[in-house]
Amino acid sequence: MKRMSFQARYRMIGYQFLIPTFLVLLLVVAMPLLFSLVLSMFRYTFLSPRLNEFVGFSNYASVVHDQYFWNSVKVTFLFVLMVVPLEFFIGYGIALMLSRPEIRFKSIFYFILTIPMVMSPVAVGLIWRMLLHPELGVVNYLLGKLGFGYVNWFGDERLALFTVTLVDVWQQVSFMVLLLLSGITSLPKEPFESATIDGANWLQTLLFVKTPLLMPIITVALLQRVITSFKTYDLVYILTSGGPGVSTDLISYNIYRTTFMGLDLSVASAVSYMLLIVILAITVVIFRSTMKGNE
Amino acid sequence: MKSYKLAKQTSLFFTYVALIFFSLMIALPVLWTLRTSFVNEVDAYAMPPRLFPSFTFDNYRELFGNDGFGDFLINSLIISLASTALAVPIASLGGYAFARYKAGGNILRFTVLATQMLPGVVLILPLFIVMSRLHLSDTYLGMTIAYLAFNLPFLIWIMTGFFASIPKDLDDAAAMDGLTPVQSFFRIILPIALPGIMATAVLSFIFSWNEFLFAIVLSGRTTMPIPVRLAAMKTRQGIQIAKLSAGTIIAILPMVFISGFVKRYLITGLSLGAIKS
Repeated sequence: MKRMSFQARYRMIGYQFLIPTFLVLLLVVAMPLLFSLVLSMFRYTFLSPRLNEFVGFSNYASVVHDQYFWNSVKVTFLFVLMVVPLEFFIGYGIALMLSRPEIRFKSIFYFILTIPMVMSPVAVGLIWRMLLHPELGVVNYLLGKLGFGYVNWFGDERLALFTVTLVDVWQQVSFMVLLLLSGITSLPKEPFESATIDGANWLQTLLFVKTPLLMPIITVALLQRVITSFKTYDLVYILTSGGPGVSTDLISYNIYRTTFMGLDLSVASAVSYMLLIVILAITVVIFRSTMKGNE
Repeated sequence: MKSYKLAKQTSLFFTYVALIFFSLMIALPVLWTLRTSFVNEVDAYAMPPRLFPSFTFDNYRELFGNDGFGDFLINSLIISLASTALAVPIASLGGYAFARYKAGGNILRFTVLATQMLPGVVLILPLFIVMSRLHLSDTYLGMTIAYLAFNLPFLIWIMTGFFASIPKDLDDAAAMDGLTPVQSFFRIILPIALPGIMATAVLSFIFSWNEFLFAIVLSGRTTMPIPVRLAAMKTRQGIQIAKLSAGTIIAILPMVFISGFVKRYLITGLSLGAIKS
């Protein structure tokens, strides 16, 4: 009995430290979320911002029947499925090379790698818009010199999403490199020594020793990138504004468009909630894996 | 033995080639933008590029002169500093509660993590409505508070890791000496965790500086930070590549500079503290 009350008191102290956090998150996260849940069940637009017409789940129904919503879902999945594997394979390759002890000038490589990571996606987008300009960009000029034809990076409906993918990879691959590198350098030495004694070659060591040992960190890296690429918004805003047509209309951008250009706050809230459920599901996975990693 | 050595030399050579190629791919676009920011508009457009272009500070001079870029820089500085200054103390307390007292158990910790995963676009709509109703849109106060929505969860997550790595014995010893939990936090634990906290503060500053979605929705004439201004230059002055390049460099340079101080924490921070630095 006495022990219990001690524990309870101990816990109370903990909650005391949590009060400011709790209040702030209530104010800037929980209440807005609740508000948007309410909005999603009413007819609420910029032109008539009143909560007097309850419509239940009909906003959700109209989202489900909206072809632009499904287009965004498709585009977003395509984007995530291109971005994450590309970043992983390039990132893993570079990390393996950088982890070789013979490599010198590592700090220079690290410095260069950190530059895209601390850049605003807006800056990244603007830089690549200039470089990839079909007539005035230096990339098309160089490609022309190498004998390639004119590439309409952002204007071609079939190419635009791929271009956005490449720009995203350019910015985010460093994160993959540095995260995997930190995993590689903290690996124990013994498994590799015994693998060498057993006569394993370079590729066998990589596939059957190194990669399995790195699995926890690889999982975290992949999930982290899946989540952040799901949310990608700024890049599309700067590079393509969702176009041409709706070929790069990622879900976050779609919601932004519905809110601030379509001015339909209720439908935007409904889409938000559907996105929320997907993200939450992925978060459960990431949380489980990080908890495992921390224990 | 000789052939083994040769093979190793060759593989090292190709590794260097690949690494240098990769580094150039990352560095050249930024360097090209730097170059463009120092030439006049005519040279910025010249295709094929001139080998020896003009050299001028005019783009920067114009940005800070007529375009009032200084104001946007100051806006960015105010909002980022204020939001960081507000988020860091709150997050330190919260992280300590999670790490030491396991307050709220896994459920609450999960909630905080989940908050961080929230797409900003989901939060910004209701925040925008509330801020407009309270007449807080286009004010520093409104933006500072709104920025907490993404700063706080991420800071708590990292700081929980910091505090968890500080031995619990220190708290126990403090309690023996008759310190209350609050005293022991401020006098014993906080000084030890301070370097880590400072580093995460820098990270939070970088995130706030680069934030675009919250900024574009909540800012206006008086509070517009750099990224919003840059995005507007894209449409309004889409033709002035040289000036846009200069603006981009101004946005990037301070972050590259201060990131040097947080190298060690950059990855931990961005990976949600899933790995220990």
